[in-house]
Amino acid sequence: MTPREDRWLHAVFAFASVAIVGLVGVAVAREWTRPLSIDQRLVPALGVVDRCITCHDEAKHPGQMLEQHPVERFGCTICHGGQGLATSAKAAHEASPDWERPLFTKAERDAACGTCHVGSAAPIARVAAGRKALADRGCAGCHTIAGVAPPNHAPELDGLRDKVSPAWVRAWLTDPGKLDPAHKMPTFRLTRPEIDALVAFLWTLPGAPMRPMPAEPAGDADRGKTALAKVRCATCHKFEGRGGDFGPDLGLAGVKVRSAWLWNYLTDTHRVHPKTRMPGFKLPPQDAADIVAYAAEQWVPDTGVLPWQAFEGDVDPKLAAKGLQLFADHGCGTCHFVAGARAAPSAPALDRLGDRRLTDLSRTTQGRMLPDVPAWVAQKVQAPQAFDSAGAAPSKMPTFPNVTPEEALAMGIAVASQHASPPPEPWIRHHEPAPFVPPPGETGQLVERFRCISCHRFNGQGGDVSRIPLDNVGARLRQGWLERFLREPVTVRMDQAERMPILGMTDEEAKRLAAWLETAFGDGRIGPAPVFLPNDATEGKALYALNKCGQCHVGDGGGTMKGPTLDGAAQRLDPGYVVALLRDPAVVPENRHVGLRLPDAVARPLAAYVLSLPGASPWPDAPH
Amino acid sequence: MRKLANHVYKSIFRIGWPKDERAATKAMVSSITLHVHPPKVRPAALKFRATWALGIISVVLAGALTATGVYLMFYYYPHPDVAWRSMKDLAFVVPFGVVTRNLHRWGAHAMVAIVTLHMLRVFLSGGYKPPREANWVAGVGLWVLTLALSFTGYLLPWDQLAYWAVTVGANMAGAVPWLGKPLRILLLGDMTVGEAALLRFYVLHCVLLPLLLFGLVGFHLFRVRKDGGLVVAEHDPETLAAKPGFRLPSWPHLVYRELIVGLLTTAALLALALVANAPLEPLADPSRTPNPAKAPWYFLGIQELAHWSAFWGGVFIPALTVAVLCALPYVDRHLHGVGRYFPRERRLASGLFLAFALFFSVVTVIGTLFRGPAWALMWWPN
Repeated sequence: MTPREDRWLHAVFAFASVAIVGLVGVAVAREWTRPLSIDQRLVPALGVVDRCITCHDEAKHPGQMLEQHPVERFGCTICHGGQGLATSAKAAHEASPDWERPLFTKAERDAACGTCHVGSAAPIARVAAGRKALADRGCAGCHTIAGVAPPNHAPELDGLRDKVSPAWVRAWLTDPGKLDPAHKMPTFRLTRPEIDALVAFLWTLPGAPMRPMPAEPAGDADRGKTALAKVRCATCHKFEGRGGDFGPDLGLAGVKVRSAWLWNYLTDTHRVHPKTRMPGFKLPPQDAADIVAYAAEQWVPDTGVLPWQAFEGDVDPKLAAKGLQLFADHGCGTCHFVAGARAAPSAPALDRLGDRRLTDLSRTTQGRMLPDVPAWVAQKVQAPQAFDSAGAAPSKMPTFPNVTPEEALAMGIAVASQHASPPPEPWIRHHEPAPFVPPPGETGQLVERFRCISCHRFNGQGGDVSRIPLDNVGARLRQGWLERFLREPVTVRMDQAERMPILGMTDEEAKRLAAWLETAFGDGRIGPAPVFLPNDATEGKALYALNKCGQCHVGDGGGTMKGPTLDGAAQRLDPGYVVALLRDPAVVPENRHVGLRLPDAVARPLAAYVLSLPGASPWPDAPH
Repeated sequence: MRKLANHVYKSIFRIGWPKDERAATKAMVSSITLHVHPPKVRPAALKFRATWALGIISVVLAGALTATGVYLMFYYYPHPDVAWRSMKDLAFVVPFGVVTRNLHRWGAHAMVAIVTLHMLRVFLSGGYKPPREANWVAGVGLWVLTLALSFTGYLLPWDQLAYWAVTVGANMAGAVPWLGKPLRILLLGDMTVGEAALLRFYVLHCVLLPLLLFGLVGFHLFRVRKDGGLVVAEHDPETLAAKPGFRLPSWPHLVYRELIVGLLTTAALLALALVANAPLEPLADPSRTPNPAKAPWYFLGIQELAHWSAFWGGVFIPALTVAVLCALPYVDRHLHGVGRYFPRERRLASGLFLAFALFFSVVTVIGTLFRGPAWALMWWPN
């Protein structure tokens, strides 16, 4: 070997040796910059290894959240997201190719609460609101969502052809908002030929079980208006621009429903529309005819829909078959049950959307990526067409009426709280109130007919027309009073626009229902009637003034009408309840006595005084 | 005391630091580590271009992989519940965990490439011809073992990349007629890649395949020496210029060069490990198939061919390749042009082999870079 070759070899040897020493030095230096010791919280059952406390001091966590969610039981990442295993800020907080879930956004944090707090009454405002909206909007009709029941009060479509005209259905499917600003049904993006096909299909369905409307005597519109007022339809329905918006606007009934159908509906509601939330009215035929006459006069010209008209010509079976296909494709059958049409969820299941990574979610047509799963869902709810791409078929998802951004985000949060594998049971909190169970037998049939839960709440569920919940109503009101009230409801709360409608109960029916309410809706917290001392009532009068009861209640010739009137309260209220309420307002849900907790020595005399207030019976003929 | 130290030293190193050629020869023969070398080598065999040092680099890489692999074994749990978290612990809490994993990962990729190039070099210089036929077949075996080691190691991080690459690989094995299904089950211990597969791959990767590799490497090196050392041209001008039979002592000429190659390889690997992190993807999720799901890069040529025909591309061609490689030295036996690259006498052989290597490289590059979702061609690699 030549010396030149040797020198070359020595140079390479020296270079390689120096390089190795240098590189090892770099590796050691890198090791040095890592924390020498790490702190971590382990929760094996949750798969949590959270090293966040290496840098963060859990004692400085703001708020009281950790009192009920100690870090040693929950870790950090369950609520905050991020990579608990990481020991550098960047790796812990940000997304990387091997960790797709960075720290949670605010909305994702709420969704994280909902992961453990399941049920419609979860104590997180946005989660509960979102779950309620998911149920109300009928999302579970097309999507599978754990814990959200499919909608069940859309009208059945059998008999539709006897109720509305084809022109109305066309207008409704084109833009329901024009016909009913408070409508619930979402708008499907249908073309004119598709709508024609659907109408053809709907007109092949069986007719309604109608009884013929007598031609004589003819209805009278003026009497009809009086009849509407008498029954208190305005509690739920708007007419002449006033009234509740729980039911459809009656001003639009003239162009919507066929007179014969309306007459049938009023004389025997559930015969032609068994799934309605409206109580089963059985109005006298003449009253019904009068109301029908009144409704026919209610024109709303700018909807462009003429009054009821029959379907022109025969139904084209080919068109109807196409309509059935469309009906199935759009999942109509999941809300509107129709025999023979598919009613299975037709849209992607949402029961594991909380696991979705941002990269899995579709981008908007403009290529925008949403910041988190809740925002993506909110965008989808508010404008599903925002995700349509040029080549693909447009989304079949409909647009929902009057969705506020807050509601949409709450829905997104509720959806994002759904995971394929939720935490183990010890970490789960169920917030599902016990459902309202109607009694068996004849009473049950009455409850089914009068549909109390459409308007009244029970255990936090039910309608919100009435402010009077059914929980412990039996312990609050006297049975005799209830009986009369059911038959002939009177005004107790002057400030309430919604008044209980005249349901047309017989004595027998009212008795039965009152007895059921009295026995089935008791409350252990409300004791028997207290023993009042002789001078309690006198003492109570002073206390009544002292506690400024008159600011809300009418009583003894004074006061205001914010609360129920107290004159003659003894006829109505259970004495034990009055005392219990004064002691702790929580005995009635949604009570406005909030915060007024009186000691026994005040509550008893006050109750004695209130119950001593004189007042005439609202039913002068009633014995008591 | 000095005497005792001297005694201990002598008991281990019987020959001291060699001062002359005779002592150097003795040193080579008497040491077990040096004994795999011949005491003397032909000058032509020391030329870099004789080997491109590819064999030595392979051995150094195997050594580096063994060392880093043992370190990784201290922290790795071969179970789906914790395997991926082991990677996280390496990344975040284990001292030198990141650099060790990087060394192991890049070393494995490098070894696949270097061993393949080594085979290419040996072919081009005619090193498979008599009397080296058996050693060539052993080399083919080592190549297959290297691929198998790399493939089994690929699964261990239990991330999406690992899971789906191995799923694809196992599916390709499943395309073998008749034997495919049992072969797949034997490999995976189950119908799909799961905890059984992970354990099997772990044992194969850490115990069985390394043992086979070490044994075969021993055989391979021993036979290099017994088959007359490196193949060099009989009519090499330099050899001719020297006296016939002129040899240089292996100490220090060969050993020093080997040391330098070892150091350079280590330095390069270390530099790579400090610059680039081994890939890691999210935890394996059998319900989330990446599109496209790709095998490890060295199998992407086969996957690309399998895309055209599962049997012909995925089974027949690979099997035929290995079979032809093994049969080669027993078919192509003439000794013309041995020890030189691209000699006139071997134009056909060199051309065919290069054409095949080029073809395989091209399909591998296509499969790696130019195949997108649904295995559709992409003109721009992403």
